[in-house]
Amino acid sequence: MLTKIAFRNVFRNRRRSAITLTVIIFGAVGLILFGGYKARTFWGLRESTIRNRIGHLQIYKRGFAAAESKKPLELGLDNVTDLRRAVERDPRVKMTAAQITLMGLISNGEKSETFLATAVEPAKDRAMGAQRMVAGTELPDNEPDAVILGRGLASSMHAKPGDYLTLMTTTTTGSLNATDVRVAGVFVSGVKEYDDRAVKMALPGAQQLLQTKKVERLLVMLNETDTTQAVRSDLSALFVKNGWAMEMKDWSQLATFYHQVVLLYNGIFGFLGIVVFAIVIFSVANTILMSVFERTREIGTLMAIGTTRGRVWRMFLGEGFMIGILGAILGVTAGILLAKVINSGNVMLPPPPGYTVGYRLQIMLQPATLITAALISIVTSTLSSIVPALKASRMKIVDALGHI
Amino acid sequence: MSKPLIRLTDISKSYKLGAVHVRALNDVDIDIDRGEFLALAGPSGSGKTTLLNLIGCIDKPTTGRVVLDGVDVTAVPLHRLAATRRDTLGFIFQTFNLIPVLTAYENVEYPLLLQGLGRRERDARVRRWLDHVGIGAQAKQRPDQLSGGQRQRVAIARAMVVEPKLVLADEPTANLDSETAGRILELLGKLNAETQTTFVFATHDPAVMSRAARCVRLRDGQLAAEETRALVA
Repeated sequence: MLTKIAFRNVFRNRRRSAITLTVIIFGAVGLILFGGYKARTFWGLRESTIRNRIGHLQIYKRGFAAAESKKPLELGLDNVTDLRRAVERDPRVKMTAAQITLMGLISNGEKSETFLATAVEPAKDRAMGAQRMVAGTELPDNEPDAVILGRGLASSMHAKPGDYLTLMTTTTTGSLNATDVRVAGVFVSGVKEYDDRAVKMALPGAQQLLQTKKVERLLVMLNETDTTQAVRSDLSALFVKNGWAMEMKDWSQLATFYHQVVLLYNGIFGFLGIVVFAIVIFSVANTILMSVFERTREIGTLMAIGTTRGRVWRMFLGEGFMIGILGAILGVTAGILLAKVINSGNVMLPPPPGYTVGYRLQIMLQPATLITAALISIVTSTLSSIVPALKASRMKIVDALGHI
Repeated sequence: MSKPLIRLTDISKSYKLGAVHVRALNDVDIDIDRGEFLALAGPSGSGKTTLLNLIGCIDKPTTGRVVLDGVDVTAVPLHRLAATRRDTLGFIFQTFNLIPVLTAYENVEYPLLLQGLGRRERDARVRRWLDHVGIGAQAKQRPDQLSGGQRQRVAIARAMVVEPKLVLADEPTANLDSETAGRILELLGKLNAETQTTFVFATHDPAVMSRAARCVRLRDGQLAAEETRALVA
């Protein structure tokens, strides 16, 4: 019966309940949209970081991460063929890609700049889709002296496809070496600072320049990101079994920017949650307090005819709970609908800091986000009725009955 | 001689109204026997409602003792007397005080739910009492769909449904026209005669006083006079 009274009282002052519900709905929708946007951003950033740049796992010679090598590729992988064959036998592995990174000077004969080169297997690099070409072609397969340049570096070197430039770096033996390269194309990666220094070249060309047969690392791409840890432990076991002195890093250890973004967004989301929490608390508390005030004599009557304080307390708490449930149902429904509308519209967002290309606004509807939004609505609404409910249950019956 | 249902001994009650101390009752002693139909009469401020509240276990005397059905209720905190109010007492208010979101049926059912009675027994008792007070046809209506007289009948059914030992009525006819008030008083008199339930009214309505078998008059918080007469049926 108390539940019945509480439920009917929710609809007693419809306008007031509607205003309170609107606040809860706005809060829930805000949490769902921002939560969904955050989830989509995390997912997008994570997958693009992994698939375009760092891979799910990177395999190095043991000691690579800890030791500062004296010479380039001192701790490189000698025989990558056997390693690659063993790794690719795992059906969860999509592909592997060998890489070298090197730094040096790039010159057009009149001007020199520092460069940061990634030596790749051209076919694998194309498969990763790490960059978007803005001029010329992708890195060709059988041309060791072809390079592609980041847009900023190409502009600084006044280079266009077909031009020749000179790369100079330190070899694995510590001497200086230089080679002439042909610019095949110009690309953008999306990160301006990187594009201002970036060179991509074929692995054989880099090995020739560095005078080595080694590679620095082997990137491992998986079909599913979720299997990363399982594959990592299986590979560790494989290395031990074969007596290979290798070490690994997973994407999470390498994706510094991703973690910074996660930290920032979670901070914002947390703050937003607190704001929503506070607004809902005050709004519902106000509604229930008004209700307690209006129903003072009714409370006096209920207690006079034998209702205990505990029951009165539970009745008002029940009202807050029911408002929360209603708000959660309506809020989650509204959130889902709005997310679908946003996803079906083609809303473009400006580039994030450090990026040069914008992206489409997408809301990822995850059960966890929806449940969180619903729970926050219910819990805050219930919590905020505690004080008004206490106030109601502590009334002096005589005073309450005399209240007009 | 059997013990009285209510024994008030040396009851005084004072409270603060702003900065002023008001003495609402002063050394009042009354015994009320089982089955009585008693009116506490007096002008406004004479202390009759205060006295009713003390008997109803919803207020405490400043000094003195209230013994209800052999139990000294002054020794127990008010919030621990919820069960006593629920099982022993019935309340009828001047402004009816029905729960607006509940139907007539549900209002009468409510005290039985507090008692934890089973559904079948509840239903039988609610229907019997609604019919008894002549409101059976309006069982599904909410208070705002009922007239003043009908509301008071629902309130009477709510008070009687728990089969209390004592019904306390504070100005039960004050908000009713004289014809309706007469019918309500007639009903209460009939219930008193049928069930032997004790009725205590606080009133300043001569019509109520004239129907009471015993009329205790209060003035300035003290007993002023007492009249007893054969009950007018």
